[in-house]
Amino acid sequence: MSPADPIIRVENVSKHFDTMVALDQVSLFVQPGEKVVIIGPSGSGKSTLLRTINRLESITAGSVVVDGFDLYSPAVDINKVRMEVGMVFQSFNLFPHMTVLGNLTIAPMKLKKTPRAEAEAVARRLLEKVGIPDKADVYPVKLSGGQQQRVAIARALAMSPKIMLFDEPTSALDPEMIGEVLDVMAALAREGMTMVVVTHEMGFAREVADRIIFMDGGRIVEEAPPAKFFTAPEHPRTRKFLEQIL
Amino acid sequence: MNEDKKTSQDIKPVVIEVGDGAAIPSRRDRGLVSAWKLSFFFAVATLAYLLIFRPTPYWRLFKFLPDGILVTFQVTILSILLAIVIGLLTGLGRISRNRTINLVASTYVEIVRGIPLLVQLFYIYYAIGHFVKVPDMVAAVVAMSFCYGAYMGEVFRAGILSISHGQTEAARSLGFSRTQTMFFVILPQAWRTILPPVGNEFIALLKDTSLVSILAVSDLLRRGREFASESFLYFETYTMVALIYLIITLILSKLVSIMEERLSRHVTR
Repeated sequence: MSPADPIIRVENVSKHFDTMVALDQVSLFVQPGEKVVIIGPSGSGKSTLLRTINRLESITAGSVVVDGFDLYSPAVDINKVRMEVGMVFQSFNLFPHMTVLGNLTIAPMKLKKTPRAEAEAVARRLLEKVGIPDKADVYPVKLSGGQQQRVAIARALAMSPKIMLFDEPTSALDPEMIGEVLDVMAALAREGMTMVVVTHEMGFAREVADRIIFMDGGRIVEEAPPAKFFTAPEHPRTRKFLEQIL
Repeated sequence: MNEDKKTSQDIKPVVIEVGDGAAIPSRRDRGLVSAWKLSFFFAVATLAYLLIFRPTPYWRLFKFLPDGILVTFQVTILSILLAIVIGLLTGLGRISRNRTINLVASTYVEIVRGIPLLVQLFYIYYAIGHFVKVPDMVAAVVAMSFCYGAYMGEVFRAGILSISHGQTEAARSLGFSRTQTMFFVILPQAWRTILPPVGNEFIALLKDTSLVSILAVSDLLRRGREFASESFLYFETYTMVALIYLIITLILSKLVSIMEERLSRHVTR
């Protein structure tokens, strides 16, 4: 892993709403296989930053280059890039009109022209992996929140992405279901997936992250490996935040 | 920002109300006596009474009119199919980000809404006739669907907008294009919201097809007028025509309400 070749290069990205600054000159480089956890108070811009990595968010200035593709250049085929960047949302966003298997197979079948049998085999393997192999034929409405989010992770993985983005994946879950989702994410991390995770789960951040980014007011205030971040944060704003939540 | 996104679970199914159709029986009309049952009983009983106790002229009328019913249904079904296609395009146009497409679709809706249907019917009929010779039936269908396409466009627009934005984001994040997202993810969910108002529009359209009788299309009303002008039995003829329209729309509105209920039962999620 040469530090010179980040797979994600966010450079000097700013996003302004009318009067508000959502992102202010933010730069973030992520190496292949690296796990970056972004934390920060509500409205700090952490979700917005994450969402620039697959262009779900428009930006005012700067550039985002993912796997060599300049996301905000007019020439880029954004759909092609997005196939390589999986995303998991706070609100799951499973397709309610399809079974779990349908949710997992539609993108590979329509976008990669994967034959149905193959797509379904992959889907069942992924369901095994996220621990719900018996739910292939049910509709999302029949699943618990934790199960839905695990299906959502499997759905993103079905496209064999190089990068996985997680936007507060456990924030909409009942407390007893948070663990099952984090376990799946930790397992994915161990397999070497490149991950950028926005979360409030400090235990997860401490265990899984290679690097923790703390954001406030649309800027990156501090970044450090978890050991240093949680024991010896440099910035007073970080210290205050950690005091409040730990 | 996105910190407080609503989960898809919070979003309640949207009911689109587009007026003008027959009143669709609602759940609370389920009792022994309801407006629907009363009207239906009244209509069928009157029809039966007239046919049994006043066979002349009512039996003759009853045998004379069905050709017209057939034409009425033909015009209605063809118009609704064309209107659905126009409506889908208009609805997509109205939510399009492309300013030109958006403007064209909105202007179309605005124009159609501002002109009485009967005037539109005449206008399109004679406008088409000015350039090409087409069968009256075709002109009628084109005119009806041009008008109803605009209303249908609003139905499609509202149905599409009723689907949570998270669905679009999820699909786009997987790599689906805007169009693929619409056809694989949004429309298959939106039809549950769209179908009941389309049913209402169908009933409204069926009634409005009576206007095409003016354009030499032999629909139910036109057949009635033909009968009346020969027999001079105006009162009897229009009694029969009104009863037939009423029975048809009552049956259709019942069907729509059954469909509505089925859909809402599945939509609870």
